[in-house]
Amino acid sequence: MSKRTVLVAMSGGVDSSVAAALLVEQGHQVIGATMKTFCYSEVEGPSQTCCGLEGIMDARRVADRLGIPHYVYDVERDFTRDVIDDFVGEYAAGRTPNPCVRCNGNTKFRDLLKRGALLGCDAIATGHYARMATDETGAPILLRGVDQNKDQAYFLWGLPPELLPQLMFPLGALTKPEVRERARALGLSTAEKPESQEICFVPTGNYVDVLESRLGPEHAALSPGKLVSASGEAVGEHEGYARYTVGQRKGIGGGHGQRLYVLGTRPAMQEVVVGTWEDLHRSEILVDELNWLGPQPAIGSEVQVQIRHRASAAEAEIAANDNGSIKLELREPQRAVAPGQSAVLFRGDVVLGGGRIAA
Amino acid sequence: MKPIYMDYAATTPVRSEVRDAMLPMLEERFGNPSSTHRWGREARAILEHARARLAAVLGVSPIEIIFTRGGTEADNLALLGRARTSPDAPVVCSAIEHKAILATARAAEAGGTELHVLPVDRSGTVDHSTLPDILRREPSVVSVMWANNEVGAIQPVLEIATQCADAGVAFHTDAVQALGKIRIRLDELPVSLLSISAHKIGGPKGVGALFIRRGTEISPMIFGGGHERGLRAGTEDVAGAVGFATAIELAEREREQTVVRLGALRDRLEAALRERVPDLVVNAESAERLPTILNVTVPGADSEALLLTLDLQGIAVSSGSACSSGAVEPSHVLTSMGISPDMAGPSLRFSLGHETTDDEISHVISVFPQIVERLREMSAR
Repeated sequence: MSKRTVLVAMSGGVDSSVAAALLVEQGHQVIGATMKTFCYSEVEGPSQTCCGLEGIMDARRVADRLGIPHYVYDVERDFTRDVIDDFVGEYAAGRTPNPCVRCNGNTKFRDLLKRGALLGCDAIATGHYARMATDETGAPILLRGVDQNKDQAYFLWGLPPELLPQLMFPLGALTKPEVRERARALGLSTAEKPESQEICFVPTGNYVDVLESRLGPEHAALSPGKLVSASGEAVGEHEGYARYTVGQRKGIGGGHGQRLYVLGTRPAMQEVVVGTWEDLHRSEILVDELNWLGPQPAIGSEVQVQIRHRASAAEAEIAANDNGSIKLELREPQRAVAPGQSAVLFRGDVVLGGGRIAA
Repeated sequence: MKPIYMDYAATTPVRSEVRDAMLPMLEERFGNPSSTHRWGREARAILEHARARLAAVLGVSPIEIIFTRGGTEADNLALLGRARTSPDAPVVCSAIEHKAILATARAAEAGGTELHVLPVDRSGTVDHSTLPDILRREPSVVSVMWANNEVGAIQPVLEIATQCADAGVAFHTDAVQALGKIRIRLDELPVSLLSISAHKIGGPKGVGALFIRRGTEISPMIFGGGHERGLRAGTEDVAGAVGFATAIELAEREREQTVVRLGALRDRLEAALRERVPDLVVNAESAERLPTILNVTVPGADSEALLLTLDLQGIAVSSGSACSSGAVEPSHVLTSMGISPDMAGPSLRFSLGHETTDDEISHVISVFPQIVERLREMSAR
């Protein structure tokens, strides 16, 4: 492997710590960077995720241990505009956004690459569980990480394809237990840090807190409205449509004669649509805001689609393609297809691209 | 090339004379100055001797010197200590104060104290034309730094101090950056309170002092065993005090020579950078400046990238001020001077010190223009 000058994003978690360590071990010239994405002083309570100030301190300690320079970049303004505002707007529009996808696609990688280039770096790296490889033509391709439990390819479909040649994912061939083992062996202070599953700007773990503070508790998305059946018949009350996610059962109340699930929302009417377990299954998905990491698959192509993080991919066919959106026909109906979430298209382990579930 | 440290306004290495003077206090002369026994008496004598040495350099009485745990603490004690003596009176400071004053003043304001912030002109000099009106409101304290830490602009402290003295208002000056570069004789200048710090002049970190002119009433911030005339409780840092006294004597003894030598180096750096980067802007250019500071704006070059690239090439300078995370923030000093954010953003501070050499200046002159050119090309892309 040729030696590169790499800017590695270090959140302070064990994954990015080991990613940086592996790059150093491989003989690359490595510079660590931590993105400060929001103002910690405005966050009440102890910070729980690895994007907090504590994360910066941990990242700094690891960089020091590895003997590499480490810098903190304040990206708060761009992050707020591109990720948090979008997150709030999507919920207000009745969708279930995926801020990590948004961040990776719009903010993090572009920004890292730009900043890295200014420092003379020719590659950027993160601690994502994904792999870079080349196809038979030599073009770069993005693959799932080998650890099926940790694979994060789902979050990376939105990357600008021109960035691929400069990406490195040092953890792609490792499993999480192996990563922890490496961290211990290297004596990294972050070796035993717990997993952070929360969204970095939702320190309380409840996204509704962010919506309440940014939209105001009186906003239509957070105000009570009608629970309706698919045919429009009122069957109860809800607490604000943005508090509901497709597939959710909680918060609907009982006494409906059968178990009901959220099927979707109608923001204009402030309604939450509910239905049965059977109603929750769909065999067609409309996907917009597409991004392709390689050639766009043709209509009629057989692909696998993943509609949630950690969900298994389902066989599908690209049935139609127009106006920047595609229709996918699923071999087997899928449960809880949530508008706003990502639909990521794979062929085996290769990420073809993806988009936002429109309907 | 050995790494080049050009950030002496941030901190300095401890001078070997200072270290040698401190070591005995860490080992055999370790006593607590408050103890009655011989160890205590010895430590007390050393502490008071250090205080007297410091006082002598400043031209004041030893009883007017309170040791603190640094410049920030001295600033806090001066501002809040005064504000507490007359809770209803306003406090006054300038827009370009160090955060040790600005944030303290803002904290007082949040607690209900009225705050007046004196503006600065484009050169970085405090505009005190409104001060006579403000003084009629009988503020508890007026605080204007002696020399600014970012751009090096020297402030009209004599005039402001005199105005305040005539009005019977306590005047505080943060002289942390001025110390060692400007003659500070408090028997010649009517300031009531003055903050200084050891680590900017080759002394240890965590040691500072507040001069409190006799008769200036002040309330303590830290309570305890009545140390430092009841104004700063906590067992005294005897080694630190000795280090500070040694450093301040050295700095004062070498001051005139230092100013000439470093001033010439700074001027050479400034002239060469201007010549090689023609649109480079020297901030606070028209102000009287400390001879050790050069603050420049490089239009079209990302200052953060400039700072980090210099660091990767072994040259340590600074940009704006770092927040708790270490990320670079735009400079409040430059924006207060009326410099637009797109020019205040890309600014860099070179600060020279005792160990700075001619070769180091030459090296910076040779690499800086190339770095600027490369970053500009990349930003233009």
